[in-house]
Amino acid sequence: MINIVALLVLITMSLVGCSSGNENTNTNENLSEASWEEIASEAEGSEVGIYMWGGDDGINRYIDDYVAPALQEQYDVTLNRYPMDAQDFLSKLMTEKQAGQEEGTADILWINGENFRSAKNNDLLYGDFASLLPNMESSIGDEAPFIHMDMGTEIDGHQVPWGNVQFAYQYNSEIVSDPPSSIEELVQWSIDHPGQFTYPNPTDFTGNGFIRHIMYDIADDPALLETFNEEWLEENGEDIWERLTEFKDSLWRQGNTYPESLAQLDQLYASGEVAFTMGFNEHRAESLIEDGVFSPSTETVVIEPGSISNTHYLSVPFNSPEPEGAMVAINFLISQEAQIQKIDPSMWGEGSVLDTSLLSEEELQELEDMSGPTIVQNKDILPELDARYHDWITENWEQQVVQ
Amino acid sequence: MNENRKRVLLQGLFLLLFAIMFVIPIFFMFAKSISFGWQWPNLSPSGIDIRAWEVAFRDPRIYQSLINTVVIGGAVVIFNFLIATPAAYSLSRYEFKGKTMIESLLILPILVPVLAVAMGLHIPMIRLGLTDNLSGVILIHLLPTLPYAIRVLKAGFDRLNNDWEEQGAVLGARRATVFWTVIIPLMAPSIRSAALLVFVISLSQYVLTAIIGGGRVSTLPMIYYPFFSSADEAVIASFTVMFALLPVLFLILFETVCRSYLKILKKP
Amino acid sequence: MFSNKAHKFRPYLFLLPGLIIVACLVGYGLFSAIVESLSTPENEGDFYYYIELWQNNTFLQALGISIWVAAVSTVISILVGLYLTRTMVRLFRKDHWKFLAWLPMLIPHFVAAYLVFLLFSPSGWVSSMFYQLGWIGSIGEFPVMVNDPFYLGVIFTYIWKEIPFVILMLLPVYQEMDLRYEDVSRTLGGSKWTVFKTVEFPWVWPVSIEVFLILFVFILGAFEVPALLGVTYPKMLPVLAYDWFYQAAWVNRPLAQAMMVCLSIVSLFAAILILTFSRRWRKKWTVRREEI
Repeated sequence: MINIVALLVLITMSLVGCSSGNENTNTNENLSEASWEEIASEAEGSEVGIYMWGGDDGINRYIDDYVAPALQEQYDVTLNRYPMDAQDFLSKLMTEKQAGQEEGTADILWINGENFRSAKNNDLLYGDFASLLPNMESSIGDEAPFIHMDMGTEIDGHQVPWGNVQFAYQYNSEIVSDPPSSIEELVQWSIDHPGQFTYPNPTDFTGNGFIRHIMYDIADDPALLETFNEEWLEENGEDIWERLTEFKDSLWRQGNTYPESLAQLDQLYASGEVAFTMGFNEHRAESLIEDGVFSPSTETVVIEPGSISNTHYLSVPFNSPEPEGAMVAINFLISQEAQIQKIDPSMWGEGSVLDTSLLSEEELQELEDMSGPTIVQNKDILPELDARYHDWITENWEQQVVQ
Repeated sequence: MNENRKRVLLQGLFLLLFAIMFVIPIFFMFAKSISFGWQWPNLSPSGIDIRAWEVAFRDPRIYQSLINTVVIGGAVVIFNFLIATPAAYSLSRYEFKGKTMIESLLILPILVPVLAVAMGLHIPMIRLGLTDNLSGVILIHLLPTLPYAIRVLKAGFDRLNNDWEEQGAVLGARRATVFWTVIIPLMAPSIRSAALLVFVISLSQYVLTAIIGGGRVSTLPMIYYPFFSSADEAVIASFTVMFALLPVLFLILFETVCRSYLKILKKP
Repeated sequence: MFSNKAHKFRPYLFLLPGLIIVACLVGYGLFSAIVESLSTPENEGDFYYYIELWQNNTFLQALGISIWVAAVSTVISILVGLYLTRTMVRLFRKDHWKFLAWLPMLIPHFVAAYLVFLLFSPSGWVSSMFYQLGWIGSIGEFPVMVNDPFYLGVIFTYIWKEIPFVILMLLPVYQEMDLRYEDVSRTLGGSKWTVFKTVEFPWVWPVSIEVFLILFVFILGAFEVPALLGVTYPKMLPVLAYDWFYQAAWVNRPLAQAMMVCLSIVSLFAAILILTFSRRWRKKWTVRREEI
């Protein structure tokens, strides 16, 4: 009996010993000197892991059914999708950095905003690779502001834009006959219809977006918020909280609690408990209606002062085992072909990052056919705010509004 | 007569309770998973749709995850027995110095929040090559399971009468023989409970698997959890039904093994 | 029989594998948590994060609500579980009945939480049924039972999940307890309460308090159920810890680790206390039993 136990302990220990022996000593060779042809040929036959949130069937299908086969066929690169939240894989990378693990498991990360800032500040990313990708120039160009700045953080080629979405509100047209067109009207509507409106806790990205929208409403001119403006916050902070406390009592559950995530708000909306939901991606309702999650009477509306746009990005971690493969895959993901396919509402259905002036007549037509009627007019687009606003909201909201 | 009626009544009450606590919820979940557009205040869905099941089984890693989940669960159960049985036996049969201290130490893993421990363990486990693979995940799953296995098995040994072992010893049987032929069969109920408890705990680990498995070791919770942050209740429901069925399958497998072991014992 | 030296070390030897695993895993994990929590920002004194923690209102509120949830769920689970075990003990002698009793344990906690959400949320199935029965006229009239400030949904989930565990732990005690004892004292003319107090209680007590400990600390530290069914403020400790671990660019991590260390120390002392107590009680009772 004892012997068996002792034996097993020994076996386990020796197994541990063995597996620690074959640690890889791959070093990050610098690719900035390499030509694209060299990178592409190096990438052939590699297996690339993309780490991304996996809670949406449409997004998963876009990767599994469209991107992965196309990459395999065109570039001989195998793409594996690993479902994991951004905060979880960044925490993992941070620990791997501390442990000095030079060869990790992830090759591509899906991040933006606050997560990008922490990753960049802690040297968790591969470095400037955007300039190496031919499609950066041929399909995204250099014009749009989101190519250089992500919520106030300089990008420096550390990540590549992947998708662009607009903040919009969804409502049930059976309950809301006359949808509000400004924040003021929305607040008034909530006061007139107690319990039928709420927003997610601002620790959630969407909930935070709602408060950033309120901020834009308080600011007379969007230009005031263009860079992080502490002075403005000190002067106008009170107004923001006042606006939020003004209709707190008439929110869902009298504002005593808030949905912890957008998913919870969506569930409340889907089951008819509240009349509004909201979110980045103006086309998000389409597939949810199709799947029977949202009621068919769901409509989408943009509320004054406009629609905050948000961009999400792809990046490569510092310890990617296959950086060449990752770059080939990312280059494909930002190609016109893959970007147009991403607009298809039957799969993902979200905005592209393409510079439409670089598109051919044919591609432009295809893009228009895919995206359907425009929801957000160009004049309504509000730029995304500095990530420090995000933090300021998260830090103060609970004390100012809930307690 | 009266006694009889009382028993029937008791059985009825118990069955009712069981139905409310187990059968109805599972059934409800299943209905939810094949529903289309089920909104308040309807008591039944407006349509039937197997989309959620398609979503679950279209995921390219679903089969691998199912296999991983069962392999990890099974291995965790086996290691738990190897470690917990002697420990529980010792705690139940012997009196020795520092017993309370040791006993407290052994339930420490459930007293200490796992999140803190896993964060701290991540670095040494990376250095030992125990991350991003099955063996690391199996090892870390011992943490939340071992204390339960020891408690349940100890309760089992406590209940067993010492006489059996002594008689066996008096008759000149070797201690090991007594252990395998007398004690183990008598312990069957406790062993079964421990195995099942351990399996279910291992099955439901998300945070530990995510940190130590690093996303590479794909188990059912790894695929299922992200869907909690979506509004797609039907998909969540379909995964939930799978979660409820896996332990049942494990139980059937386990019972078969147990029965055949007892049969082999009886033969000679 | 075994009076040699080997005998003296045997119990320790049996315990060794378990102790090694626990010491390595928990020991190291806890050690690094302590190290991180003791780090101090520049220009601050020792134990900075601990002082910060105990002055943090959010933490104190979380502590309060966590103790409330853990205490209420545990006590109710044990009382109901005890009652069921007592009433059904004869029934449970048959294997298939016993089997049914703990089948609900097969449901993982987050699944149970999700079920409670689907059934008892204001737009849930029970609410729909009340509407169909004409008991309520709109969603708003349904009492708030999940995501409520008293954590009723969380408590309910835990009670539902832990009762089978209580039964599982108590059943061996009742089965071992010679039912003849009970008959004897009944013929002696004691009331039901006296029977319980004098015959069952001394047996049940040590196990119950052990179960209390296990469940209490489990509920104090478990994340999934309050994450799904809790409220924004006050949060329960594990949810707060999770936020501190992952949000705001990791600056709150030492604070989270300080919280974990405090929790661990308190739990460990509680465990030692309860186990010492239950062992003494058991010993005392064994002696009494032999006297009878």
